[in-house]
Formats: sequence, C-alpha cells, structure tokens
Amino acid sequence: MFLTFASWLHKTPISIVLQHQVAWLWPFCETLHFAGLALLLGVAGMFDLRLLGFMKRVPISVVKEFMPWALVGFTLNLLTGMIFIVSEPAQYFGNPTWWLKVTFLIIAGLNAFVFETAYGRRAAALPAGEDTPTPLKIIAAVSLISWAGVLWAGRMLPFLGAGVGAGL
Amino acid sequence: MEEFLLRLQESDFGVWVSSAPTLLAYPTILMLHTVGLAMVVGPAWVLDVRLLGYGARLPIESLRGAFRIMWIGFVINASTGIALFVSEADDKGLKWIFWAKLASIALALIVTSRLRRAVFAGGVASDVAPPNARGLAKASLVLWLAAITAGRLMAYVK
Repeated sequence: MFLTFASWLHKTPISIVLQHQVAWLWPFCETLHFAGLALLLGVAGMFDLRLLGFMKRVPISVVKEFMPWALVGFTLNLLTGMIFIVSEPAQYFGNPTWWLKVTFLIIAGLNAFVFETAYGRRAAALPAGEDTPTPLKIIAAVSLISWAGVLWAGRMLPFLGAGVGAGL
Repeated sequence: MEEFLLRLQESDFGVWVSSAPTLLAYPTILMLHTVGLAMVVGPAWVLDVRLLGYGARLPIESLRGAFRIMWIGFVINASTGIALFVSEADDKGLKWIFWAKLASIALALIVTSRLRRAVFAGGVASDVAPPNARGLAKASLVLWLAAITAGRLMAYVK
C-alpha cells in the first residue's frame, strides 16, 4: 500500500521538480537537517535534564522559554525531511528503519503532548529547588530515549533495511 | 603524504572500520559521530542564544554544566572522527573540504574556550554578559554551523 503511494508520489509534479532540482539542494537540506537536529536536541535535552533534576535552582518555566528554539529545529527538520521523502519516497517508505524512526517520532510527540496536557501546569508551579515528581522524570527519560531513537534510526537508514541505494 | 594516507586506510583498523560486515563498524561509528555533534553543538548554541540576550530570566551561571556535556561530545567526536578518517584517509585527507571542516572546528574551539574564560572564569557568572561575549557567541554560532556544513559536504565535494 505504501509502496503504491510512494510510486504515485514519485510521479507528482512536486516530486519531479524536486528530483530535477539543482544538485546542491539535497546536500543543502541534509546540512540543515543536521543543524536542526543539534538545535532541537540541545534545547529539548536541556529541558529534559531540568525535569530529571539538574539545574534545580532554575524554575522549569524559565528553561521552557527556550522551547521555541527547539521548535525552530524541529520545523527545519520536518521541512527538509519532507523534501527528502517527496523526492525519493520509495527510499523511505520501503525501509523498515524509516518506519522505526517515525515510531520514535510519534512516541516523542505523544510524550510531549502528555506533558503539556497532564503535567504542564504542575511543572510550571513547581518551586525552584524542589525535587521533580517521578512522572515528570519518566517523561524526561522517555523524551531523551525517543529522540536518541530518532537519531539512531535516522543515521542507520542507509545501512539497515535499505533496499534502495541511499546516499550516506 | 599520500603514501602515508594510503597506509592508514589500508591498516587493519582502517579496513575494519570501512568494511567489517557488521553494523558496529562504520554505521555505528558514523551514528556516534552524530550523537557527539548534538552534544557539542546543541549546548553551544543554547549558550550562544542566551548570551545574545534570549531567555534572559535564565541565570547564565546555570549553563556552566553545558561545558561538561560539550566536552564529552567532543571526546566522542574526536575519537569517532579519527576512526572515520583512518578508514577513508586516502580520500578525505586529500579534500580541501575536510581541511575546511578541521579549520572550522579549531576556530570554534578557540572561540568556545575564550567564551568560557570571558563568562565563567571569575566565580559565579554575571547575568550581564561581558561586552566581548556577544561577539564570541555570534562567532560560535557561525563556526559550528560551518563545521556541520563542511562535514556534510565531505560526502559530495570531489
């Protein structure tokens, strides 16, 4: 089913435009994908460490002020990632490792959603210096592990499960 | 020079990294190089945007720990970088883009150590960043981006 979708996508005008784009588009997007990764993990990682009990004297709401930068990194990676997928859909849809990456992304997303909806207010109200409750520590650990999973699966794409010759 | 690079590449270790039939060789080393990248550049950029005035309620002192993460990331990347280089020494060592990457990293490290001295050397870091910190933070942002860019282009530039 997904491979049918992939071959349809590959023939759409937007995909054809991207496939015949200037040669530097792909390396350019890859570079942005790595820069976005550093920005996202740098900021989200700092927030997770705070929830785990590091930098305890700083209120969680203050650390959270940096989150827009994580969102910049995430958006950068979503856009460049979509350019990769639309250009070469089969390379991704046909690779189980890419589905693993998507799974880790969904876990990271759901985890962030649970934090926002169920614990956001509680975290913001936590006085500086106080130990973070266990649920928040679990959320932080799940976040760190799932982002590490995204990175691991992403970087393993060309080596693990790749049927189509992918660029390293 | 070329003979030396070729000897490196064809050493047992070089050949193991490039062609051992296991995911633990080249793929895992390359993956760890990306983990190290995030550990070095991520905290560096957080510190840079803070020093440029963003998120001013965050005490600069609370970012002192960033250097420990960056240091671990740097050790990971220096070692995985050496392994990756050895495995393709005769190719990468002759590319100008590889030397551009090393130069960017060298400059970024100099800027980072100056920044650390300017902001964190005199006891508890002040929340008013010293005047030269802004320039250093901008240089750090740009130089780490240059290192990432040159690193990625190593796969493309002939």
